[in-house]
Amino acid sequence: MTETVVGFHEHEAQAEHAPPAPPPRGLRRLLAPGWLRALWMTPLFFGIGAGLVVLIRWLEGWHPIWDGSVITTVELTTLPLGFLAGIGGFDYWVRYASGAPTRPEDHSGHGARSWRDYFRINTDHKVIGIQYLVTTIVFFVIAGLLAMFMRAELARPGMQFVDNQTFNGLFSVHAALMIFLFVIPAFAGIGNYVIPLMLGAPDMAFPRLNALSFWLLPIAGIMMVSSFLVPGGPFAAGWTNYATLSVHQPLGNTFFSMAVQWAGASSIMTALNFLVTIITMRAPGMTFWRMPLLVWANFTTSLLVVIATPFIAGSQFFVMFDRVMHTHFFDWTAGGYPLGYQHIFWFYSHPAVYIMMLPGFGIASEVISVMARKPIFGYRLMAVSLMAILILGFSVWAHHMFVAGMAPWLRVPMMVTSMVIAVPTGIKVFSWLATLWEGRIHFYTPMLFALGFVSMFVIGGLSGIYLAAVPIDIHTSDTYFVVAHIHYVLFGGSLFTIFAGIYFWFPKMTGKMYDERLGKLHFWLTFVGFNLTFFPMHWLGIQGMPRRVADYAPRFADLNLFISLASFGLGASTLVFLYNMVKSWRFGPTAPANPWRSMTLEWQVSSPPPVFNFDEIPQVVGTPYEYGVPGARHGVFNGERVHEQEQVPVP
Amino acid sequence: MRRGSIVQLVLLGVLFGGGAAAVALLIPWLPDPASEQADRIDFVFWFVTTICIAIFALVAAVIVYSLLKFRARPDDDSDGPPTHGHTGLEIVWTAVPAVLVTAISIVSAVVLARNDHLPQASAAGARDPLKPLIVKVTAQQFAWLFTYPAYGNATSSTLRLPLHVPVDLKLKSLDVIHSFWVPEFGQKQDAVPGLDTHVVVTPKRLGTFPVICTELCGLGHAVMRSWTTVMPRADFLTWANKQKSAAGGGASGSATASGKTVFVNNGCNGCHTFEPAGASGTVGPDLDKLPALARKAGKPLDAFIRQSIVDPSAYVEPGYPNAMPGTFASLPKEQLDALVKYLSGGKG
Repeated sequence: MTETVVGFHEHEAQAEHAPPAPPPRGLRRLLAPGWLRALWMTPLFFGIGAGLVVLIRWLEGWHPIWDGSVITTVELTTLPLGFLAGIGGFDYWVRYASGAPTRPEDHSGHGARSWRDYFRINTDHKVIGIQYLVTTIVFFVIAGLLAMFMRAELARPGMQFVDNQTFNGLFSVHAALMIFLFVIPAFAGIGNYVIPLMLGAPDMAFPRLNALSFWLLPIAGIMMVSSFLVPGGPFAAGWTNYATLSVHQPLGNTFFSMAVQWAGASSIMTALNFLVTIITMRAPGMTFWRMPLLVWANFTTSLLVVIATPFIAGSQFFVMFDRVMHTHFFDWTAGGYPLGYQHIFWFYSHPAVYIMMLPGFGIASEVISVMARKPIFGYRLMAVSLMAILILGFSVWAHHMFVAGMAPWLRVPMMVTSMVIAVPTGIKVFSWLATLWEGRIHFYTPMLFALGFVSMFVIGGLSGIYLAAVPIDIHTSDTYFVVAHIHYVLFGGSLFTIFAGIYFWFPKMTGKMYDERLGKLHFWLTFVGFNLTFFPMHWLGIQGMPRRVADYAPRFADLNLFISLASFGLGASTLVFLYNMVKSWRFGPTAPANPWRSMTLEWQVSSPPPVFNFDEIPQVVGTPYEYGVPGARHGVFNGERVHEQEQVPVP
Repeated sequence: MRRGSIVQLVLLGVLFGGGAAAVALLIPWLPDPASEQADRIDFVFWFVTTICIAIFALVAAVIVYSLLKFRARPDDDSDGPPTHGHTGLEIVWTAVPAVLVTAISIVSAVVLARNDHLPQASAAGARDPLKPLIVKVTAQQFAWLFTYPAYGNATSSTLRLPLHVPVDLKLKSLDVIHSFWVPEFGQKQDAVPGLDTHVVVTPKRLGTFPVICTELCGLGHAVMRSWTTVMPRADFLTWANKQKSAAGGGASGSATASGKTVFVNNGCNGCHTFEPAGASGTVGPDLDKLPALARKAGKPLDAFIRQSIVDPSAYVEPGYPNAMPGTFASLPKEQLDALVKYLSGGKG
């Protein structure tokens, strides 16, 4: 640990004193990593991909030699590779692997001095965190607009604005973007910014890998959105992409299969990075039992990601092979097994629910403890329950398949494990409530979102109990009840905590304060709009409205119109958020280093933090939530090092 | 805790519990059950709802009480009491939910077993043709077909069931995954290609209820609906025997297979508009305009229709997706002939 620290100090000294390398001139600019090189390498790799296809088809005598759909499939791999190579994602490793001398690290790719530094390969975890967050918010807005189109179509029964293929595409792309391009990477973005700071580390363990994993993300997002442009329309088999329907879909389906690979690779690399950072780069004195709960949450989430994500990658490869190479993984007429898809898919996609929820638990714990001015209640049990959810999360996947036709005996065990997950989740909710009890609660915007999360997540959790009970699930599965449930969990849960996190760390990230009045307005519009939109869906589902339909029975017309109007209000509330962010980032008042009087390490440095986070390495002497304990400290800096005896005993 | 605050907390809990109970009771949440299975599902629903209302009331009361009582003034820089935990309390809120979910699991498992149970014909009732009744449900894009093996494999595009008779619905799919659901029956089951699935329903109320496909199955998923009619036992037997003789006649002299029957039984109406059959689907081309379509494709009408049924991808009308299943290639020749004749305007 100390070695790393010393090393980084030396680098920093170099970075300060060595003049940055002069920008390349003339033709050399074409060879330097960046957008210019991407501009010619992307077409080059397009040529390589298309050339390979044509060559093989010509050699084998397959006609037509130029087949658009085959070339498109191959290009979904080669085009992004060309772009990544051009922008410089692989430079260091290519030099290393080919035996060329690697460039000595001069930290010219570290930190941001102008807005341009956000648009290139940057190895600073703080820049990458902001790249993540801005990118994911862009895709959040796009996915939200798709939902608005969907609600417009659903305002009346029958077909009004779009045809069936487009409608199926709307909800498929909406869900895929929200899950793979918003919720999962937005948490990765917040984690990227905050985790190294919380640990007292100068950066993530693998900064170059970190940069690469970010740049995979826009590729995945653009791939999903651009599927609207291909012949046959966007992927339209739902984000679940169930075989055998997906196998018989038009070309757009391949865009989903491949986009998931890129987004999944990004997730896995980030998760590995988090794991190694958390295990090896904690500041002196930062034992596991002194880590903030957000770090614990990211630790468990990262374990989930590395173990589970390969399964969805596999499931999508199988679908793509069935579509493109005419394999028979899911073709029952040739010995394939359609249910196999669902087992593999949900073996990832149920843990994915926790991937989308555990970081939110972490954020809520940070915000609630700081803003109630009390230690988090039952810290160790909070961390242990995260681990319990991690382990149990792998044993419940088939509760998505109670009516799917799988072995009937599997239903009761899967119900029991699903029910048991309510126990650690309940522990967390009750502990948050106990943290509030007798606190000195300050209702800043992050706290409003955190409390909104707790209350909405309780509703989502309770409707989850209904869905875990097999007989009720048989009645409600694949209906709007499920739509309501997942939105209470992923909107009321994940999105509310993402908002809480963005507002909470906005002063740290930008060095500016956000507008508190606009923040509160945003919360109340979102909270009310959310409930008006999604609560009535419970009733629709139980009464008989299936999900994923553009047309529905006339008796549901009035309520659907109401939901559509409410959803437009909910969509509009996002404008308040965007306006607040842009306005405050540019014109907001300067933020103090620690506006929330928090004890965790990221607030003990300036806002925004120095390029390498800490001018001196903090010494961690106690747990992070000792509010109300006289003289308690979480971290101290060299100048004021205290003796270990003075630390507050862990409860 | 002072006694006053306990009283206030309990009052809030009662308030929220009462509010949630009112929402649960005053809004008719569940469809009026039409099967014995739905009754049992409703029981689980109310069992879970009772527990959920209690938990919701507790959580809401604590949150709201905290918001009202522990709000800090803006200039208040003090911290709360440094409570780190309470082992007893933590054991309680681990154990109580564990007990509750165990109870829900047991109730659910019992109900599941009873809902899955298919009473077999006893020795005494062995001659009763209706105990249990087997109906084969064939799902395909985007139509349902119901076959009654006990009645000469008579087929129907709506599901007719006798009152108070347990029915074993045996599902199969010809193309992609579909899901059979009648909200009033409470029972749902996917139809998976290559897999035999089944579900048990015992109707207990006369009436006509919607049959809905709940698994996304393609372009016409939203319109993949049909109806089920629960009839008095005697009426059902009359109907079924009539179908049996009709089907029997059809089987021996299939030349008489009506084009319209083939059209409806294969679910063509799910996607196509065709006035003689009263069909108004909009997923695929309007079949009332077939002559014009054939001219556009440059083919004789009969050959065009036949090709479009057997090999739908060979020519796809511009503006429409290439979405028609290829499964109709396996129609028996007589039925295909009748269908082509029917669609070309000749009386099938």
